[in-house]
Amino acid sequence: MVWIVQGLGVAVLVAVAPFMWGIAQLVKARRQGRRGPAPWQLYWVIRKHWHKETTVPERSSWVFRLAPSVSMAALLIVVITIPIAGRVPPDWPHNMLTLFFLLALERFWSGLAGLDTGGTFGGLGASRVTTLGTGIEPALFAALGIVWQVSGNGAMAPLAAHLSTAPANLLPWLMASASVALVLLAEWGRLPVDNPDTHLELTMMHEATLLEYDGRFLALSEWAMALKFTALATFGWVVLGPHLPSLWANLGLRIIEIAATAGVLGWVESGLTKLRYFQLPAYLAVAAGLGMLGFYLAAGGLSL
Amino acid sequence: MTEGLFILGCIAVVGYRWPRWSLVLNLLLSLGILAYGGYGLWHGMSTIGSGALALSPLRAWFLLVLGLVASLSSWYRWGYHDDQASLRFWLPLFLLSMMTVILANNLWTFMTAWESMTISSFFLVTTHHERPDVLKSGYIYLVMSQVSAMAILAGMLVMGTHLHSVDFSVWAERGPDLSQGTKTLIFGLVGLGFGIKSGVVPFHVWLPRAHPVAPAPVSSLMSGAMIKLGIFGMLQFLLFDLGTTARWWPLLVLAVGALSSLLGVLYALMEHDLKRLLAYHSIENIGIILFGVGVMGVGIDWHHPAWVAVGLVASLFHTLNHAIFKSQLFLAAGAVEQHTGTLDVDHLGGLLRTIPGIALGFIAGSLAISGLPPFNGFVSEWLTFRGLLGLAHSTGLLGLYGLGLMMVLGLTGALAGLCFVKASGVVFLGEPRQAVSRQPLPASLTGSVLALAAISLLLGVFPQPLLHLLNGIDPAYHVNPAGMLLPARVPLIAGFLVVAVAVFAGLSRVWAVRPVARWSCGRDVDPSMQFTSASFTKAIRTTFAVIYRPHRQVQRFGSGAPDFPTRLLYRGGTVPVWEQYVYGPMYGLLWRASRLSTRIQRGPVRLYLAYLLGTVGLMLALLH
Repeated sequence: MVWIVQGLGVAVLVAVAPFMWGIAQLVKARRQGRRGPAPWQLYWVIRKHWHKETTVPERSSWVFRLAPSVSMAALLIVVITIPIAGRVPPDWPHNMLTLFFLLALERFWSGLAGLDTGGTFGGLGASRVTTLGTGIEPALFAALGIVWQVSGNGAMAPLAAHLSTAPANLLPWLMASASVALVLLAEWGRLPVDNPDTHLELTMMHEATLLEYDGRFLALSEWAMALKFTALATFGWVVLGPHLPSLWANLGLRIIEIAATAGVLGWVESGLTKLRYFQLPAYLAVAAGLGMLGFYLAAGGLSL
Repeated sequence: MTEGLFILGCIAVVGYRWPRWSLVLNLLLSLGILAYGGYGLWHGMSTIGSGALALSPLRAWFLLVLGLVASLSSWYRWGYHDDQASLRFWLPLFLLSMMTVILANNLWTFMTAWESMTISSFFLVTTHHERPDVLKSGYIYLVMSQVSAMAILAGMLVMGTHLHSVDFSVWAERGPDLSQGTKTLIFGLVGLGFGIKSGVVPFHVWLPRAHPVAPAPVSSLMSGAMIKLGIFGMLQFLLFDLGTTARWWPLLVLAVGALSSLLGVLYALMEHDLKRLLAYHSIENIGIILFGVGVMGVGIDWHHPAWVAVGLVASLFHTLNHAIFKSQLFLAAGAVEQHTGTLDVDHLGGLLRTIPGIALGFIAGSLAISGLPPFNGFVSEWLTFRGLLGLAHSTGLLGLYGLGLMMVLGLTGALAGLCFVKASGVVFLGEPRQAVSRQPLPASLTGSVLALAAISLLLGVFPQPLLHLLNGIDPAYHVNPAGMLLPARVPLIAGFLVVAVAVFAGLSRVWAVRPVARWSCGRDVDPSMQFTSASFTKAIRTTFAVIYRPHRQVQRFGSGAPDFPTRLLYRGGTVPVWEQYVYGPMYGLLWRASRLSTRIQRGPVRLYLAYLLGTVGLMLALLH
């Protein structure tokens, strides 16, 4: 049973990823007073790219060509390792530390691919994406501090059961959730950290590494970008969110939660402006500080 | 077996005049050390000969590390352009003394081997003494090594006096019974000595000077094996022999690990010289190994066997892994130098097209050193995180300390990733930045680098068999590492990853692509448009300005100078903080002290005889 639910969950998450991305874009457009694209627009865009010829910058190498596949593969494994319905089959890999390494792999390879284009934009994107990564990784460790404190083995399991027993845990839980939300915003590449809709060289981060891609490579990259949003939103809800007793109900709840996250994201994003690149360390430091504070409260104050 | 290895080594030393024979003997010696290490891991404890040497699982593990690096670098030397007679003479001696350091079972054997290791490596570092600054680097290395040796000797003499023995097996037996005060003294002295030798911050200044100036096989041996002997010493003498110590020692080890890993990678980011960059990364990785050592120490002092096990296995496994991928990277850097004649990354670019094998090896090494799956660095960094997570799980300040260390390790990992995106991207990808020569490379260079890459991939996918060998490495704690990696499911993750990448690559038809001109806003493409190593790390330089203290200076020339200059002169750089604020003043102080001491040195022999007499008298008065 658990096998079927987990397998189905992975398939559903991968399939609906572009739709979830579309919801965020639609809500964003509506709030800005535009009619906006249909939520399934990204599927059509991906289909269009899929049937076009693929070109690569001259003299680029296999590193550039493999990057979309590496992104997609790393994110697929991230999805596989998340206990989507709250439980995983026995002997299933579901460790949070592994997730960090997979995200780092994706970032590493897109950085290499950016430099492989031999142009300015690729290098620019590579530099910015990897630099942002150096802030995201420690901040995510801090944001998940309460999880290390409570569970102690890094297994990706629902935390709600541990937390509901003591009301004193509510404040640390709130802090951790806020911190995780701030860090994930940066990891998704959404405002106020990065703007997926921009093509201005002053502001591009992730887009700059994709600039030279087209055809099937671009299709894969866009799907991977949407999948990153869906996967990490699922991760956050699984670890910190509420759970229902039934597996199937949990699976349904996840889908609703992700759609709601996308909607809120689109709504909030329209009210934000992009932060200056050099202010991002402060943004991530705030996120990390919140996480550490939550951890400290959960760890029971001063005593050695 | 050991006698055979010693005789083989001595023949290799004497045979330095015959290049090919000396290489073959060197290779045989290295393979012998490797085999002996494997035999030791299989067989467990044994004393060799009269008891001056002994084998234990821990020693066998370090023999394995040494043998592996030495074998591959011997193979590499077959086609290396810089294989001089002095190198052929000193290298077998270096190997023999490192082997003896590991096997030594009493104080005198150990110190003799330790000093002979230092001296032989000094001559290896100064192979190119005719080049500027090489001798100076060599002397800095020698002085630091001597300070380290004196600290170790002092600490060991304290231990020997209190235990009334210089035999290491006696130390292992009775060491835990020493009083806390004695243990603290020993920990301070011996820890300082081994810390200097393994290049931890703030004693790291010799490392980025000495490692890069040596020929590539020597750099790989020094970074891969020699600095690990400091870790070996800490494990054997401080953690195994002493047992529980004052609680702040392991916490200090963790702090030093954090400082070394973070500062090591931050300094590496600002380097333009490929080998210096790699040398700084050795400091970083020693810091990561110290995380494991520290977790083990905390486990011993807090009586927490699970922490001991995970800390020990993480540090040992990272020791082996770092030896593999660091020698891989150093050997690849040596190949780049042989190919192009330069190591300045800002002059290079696009080397993947001319030396694809080396590029593949370097990129694989970059993935491994950044701790990314499916390579071996992933496994040991995962284990290190697992150890720190144990600390973060405890309550109060210790928990917060654990979380802070996890954040430092996360930051270090991300910065290392950034640094190796930069290094492999700027050197091997994109377009050449300047015209450099392109010498063809012999097959042995590419072969040895790729062999190391294959080993690191193999250990990254199937770490379990090696972990089984670590069973019973510490008799006191019955470490059982076999189940430690179960939650990571490394083979499964790595297998999934490889299959998924292959499937997506097939789906996206990576072979059916058409090369077109790249987009550069409608202008002609120029290689100087690419990001360089300095521009790639600009944001890091600004963010960590407290540490780097960057400075820049712009001068404008021409008739309309300030507003319409015809020529600009731009200078920029960072401040070498340790050299300028710590070692510089210290050196000045020493110099002044030595000037002061000249006042009592007037020259006449009678005066010196009087000093001697006075000293003897003083000692007699003090001791009786």
